[in-house]
Amino acid sequence: MSEKTDTATASTDTTTSTKSETAFGGSLSERWEQLRGREGTVVGLTAIFVAVFPWLFARAPVISDFVQGYQSLATLILIWGIFAIGFDLLLGYTGLLSFGHAAFWGGAAYASGIVAKNVSGDPIVMVVSGTLFAVLLAWVLGFLSLRRGGIYFAILTLAFAQMMYFMAASPLAFLTNGENGLTGVEVGSLFGMIHLEADIPAFGGMLLGTWLYAFVGLFFVGAVAVAYRILNSPYGMVFRAIRENEQRAEFVGLNVWRYKLMAFIISGAFAGVAGSLFTIHGSYVPLQSLFWTESGDIVVMTVLGGAGSMFGPVLGVGLYLYVENIVSTIQALTIPFTDIVLIKDFGFYWHLLLGAIFLVVVWVVPDGLWGILSRIREFVSAKLGGDR
Amino acid sequence: MPLLETENLVKEFGGLVATDDVNLTVEEDERVSVIGPNGAGKSTLINLITRRLDPTSGDIRFKGESIVGLDPHEVVQLGVSKSFQTASIFPDLTVKENAEIAALAAERGAFGFEFLKHRNSLTDVHEVARDTLDSVGLLDRSDTVATDLPYGDKRRLEIGIALASEPDLLLMDEPTAGMSPEETKSTVELIEQVKREHGLTFVLVEHDMEIVFSVSDRIVVLSRGGIIAEGTPDEIRGNEAVQEAYLGGVEL
Repeated sequence: MSEKTDTATASTDTTTSTKSETAFGGSLSERWEQLRGREGTVVGLTAIFVAVFPWLFARAPVISDFVQGYQSLATLILIWGIFAIGFDLLLGYTGLLSFGHAAFWGGAAYASGIVAKNVSGDPIVMVVSGTLFAVLLAWVLGFLSLRRGGIYFAILTLAFAQMMYFMAASPLAFLTNGENGLTGVEVGSLFGMIHLEADIPAFGGMLLGTWLYAFVGLFFVGAVAVAYRILNSPYGMVFRAIRENEQRAEFVGLNVWRYKLMAFIISGAFAGVAGSLFTIHGSYVPLQSLFWTESGDIVVMTVLGGAGSMFGPVLGVGLYLYVENIVSTIQALTIPFTDIVLIKDFGFYWHLLLGAIFLVVVWVVPDGLWGILSRIREFVSAKLGGDR
Repeated sequence: MPLLETENLVKEFGGLVATDDVNLTVEEDERVSVIGPNGAGKSTLINLITRRLDPTSGDIRFKGESIVGLDPHEVVQLGVSKSFQTASIFPDLTVKENAEIAALAAERGAFGFEFLKHRNSLTDVHEVARDTLDSVGLLDRSDTVATDLPYGDKRRLEIGIALASEPDLLLMDEPTAGMSPEETKSTVELIEQVKREHGLTFVLVEHDMEIVFSVSDRIVVLSRGGIIAEGTPDEIRGNEAVQEAYLGGVEL
C-alpha cells in the first residue's frame, strides 16, 4: 500500500522525466493508479466494502449459501480487523514483534466491561474507557519493554501480558469474576435510543444487518482512515526507517526510542478500540481474551495476511476467523456435488488446516495473502498497460 | 572557540586502551583528517564523538558545550553528523525517502506529534532532501529503491543522508572503503564539491593517502590510540615519526 502511495506522491512532482510521461498517459488503468493512492478513495472503498460485506457474507443468494457466513461473524471479523491494522503498524511497519498484545485487547475488553457494569453501559463510554485504558497500559508496558530489542522485547511483552492474565484470573477476581470471565455485561442503547442488537430497518438492514455491525463498521472505517493518515504522515516514514535501519535512524537525529514508544501506544490504542468493541459484541469478556494465545493469533493473522501492508492483515483476520468458525463446523469433507467422503470429522482438524495454510504462505509468499493479490494486480496492469 | 574539542579523552576496552589521552581540536571551516594504521583507534574516536561509545574519562565539547551524557540523536540535533564506513542506508525506502528521513530530523527535530499530518505538506523537508540529492548527484534516481543502487551510489546516498541533516560538522568514517578506483575518484570529487559548495567543516577518517593529502587542511596521526603527530599535509609528509609508525618508513 505504502509504496503505491509514494508513487502517487511522486506524480505530483513534475521534475523528473519518468513522471511527466505517466502524467500524459490517460488510460483507465493509469487514472485508477493515481486515484487509488488518495485518502478519499481508500476510505470510500473501505466504506463500500463494509456496507456490502455482511450482505455478501450472510444473506446474498448463492454466495452466502456457499460461504455459509453469518452476521455475527462479519462483525467479529471487522473487530479483529481493527486490532490487526493497529498491530501491523507495529509489526509490519516499525518492525517490532510484540507477543503481548492480548494485554491491550483483553485489558480494554475488561475495562469497558467493568465500566459497563459499574458506571455506564453507553457503548461510546465503553469504547472510550476501554481505549483509554489500553493507551495508558501501552504507555507503561511500552516504556518497560522497549528497553530491549528483538527477542527480548517479544519475551518482555509476553511476560507482562501473562502477568495481566494471572492477575485477572485470581487476585483481581472481585473485579473480573476470575475464571468464569466477566458475565452480565449489559450494553446500553446508543444515544439512548438505538439498541445495538436490533436489526436496522428496510434497505439498510438488508445490507448491514444489525445496528451493532453498523457501529463496529464506523469504527472500522475510522481505523482505516487513521491508519492511512499515520502511514502517510512523517510517522509512516520514520516507522519504516526504524524497521530498515534503527541505528541509522538514530544517527540522522531521530529520537528512535520515543518513536518506537509512539508506535507501541498507537497500536495499543487500536487494540483497545477493538477489545472494547469485542465486549460490546459479546456482552461478555472471557478470561481467555488476556491469554497468550490471543497474542499469538494476532501475530499469525497479521503475517498470514501480509505484514507491512495496510489491508493484508484484515485478509488474514478474515481467513483465520473463517476457518476457526465455519470450516471447523464441517462434519465431513466430501467431493463437491457427491456424497463421497474424503475426510471424516474434517472440521476437527481446523488448526491443522490453518497451520498448513500458514506454512505455505510463509514459504511461498512471505508478504502474505496481500502479496499474492498485489502480484496478480501487477500482472494484470502490466498486461493492460503493455500496448501503450 | 573551536567547533569541536576533545580533552584528555580516554577509552578503554578491558585492558586495551583504544583512545589514549586524545586532545583534538577542530576549528570552524577546517578540514581535518585522522589517519593511522589499523587498530590505531580512529573509528573508536569517531564513535566517541558521535556518542555511540561512552568515554572512560575525559570530555568532548561541541560549540563549547560538553556532549558527554547526550544521546546520539541529541548530538546529531546539535549539528554533528556522521557518514558510516559501510553503506548504512534504509534499503527498502526510495532514495528520496532516505534523504527525507534525515531532512525531517533536521527540520522538525528529534521527535514530533504530527502523526495525522500528510507528509506532502512538509515543504521544507522536501526542499532540503531535493537539494541534498542534487548535490550528491542522485536526484534523477529519486524514485529508485535504495537497495537497487550500485554500491558506489549507495555510498553517495550514505553521504547524502549525512548531509541532509544539515550538519555543522560532518564526520566521515572511511567514505571510500570498499570502492573501486572510479568510485573512489568520484567520491573524492564529491567531497571536494561539498567542501566548496557548503563550506562544510569535516573530520575525515581515511586509509587512502591520496585523498587525505588532497582534501585536508590539517592531518592528525593516531597510533595506538594516541596522537603522534599533527600538522598540514606537507608537515606530515616530512614527519619522520609518522613515516616510522604509520608508513613503515616508505618514502612518500
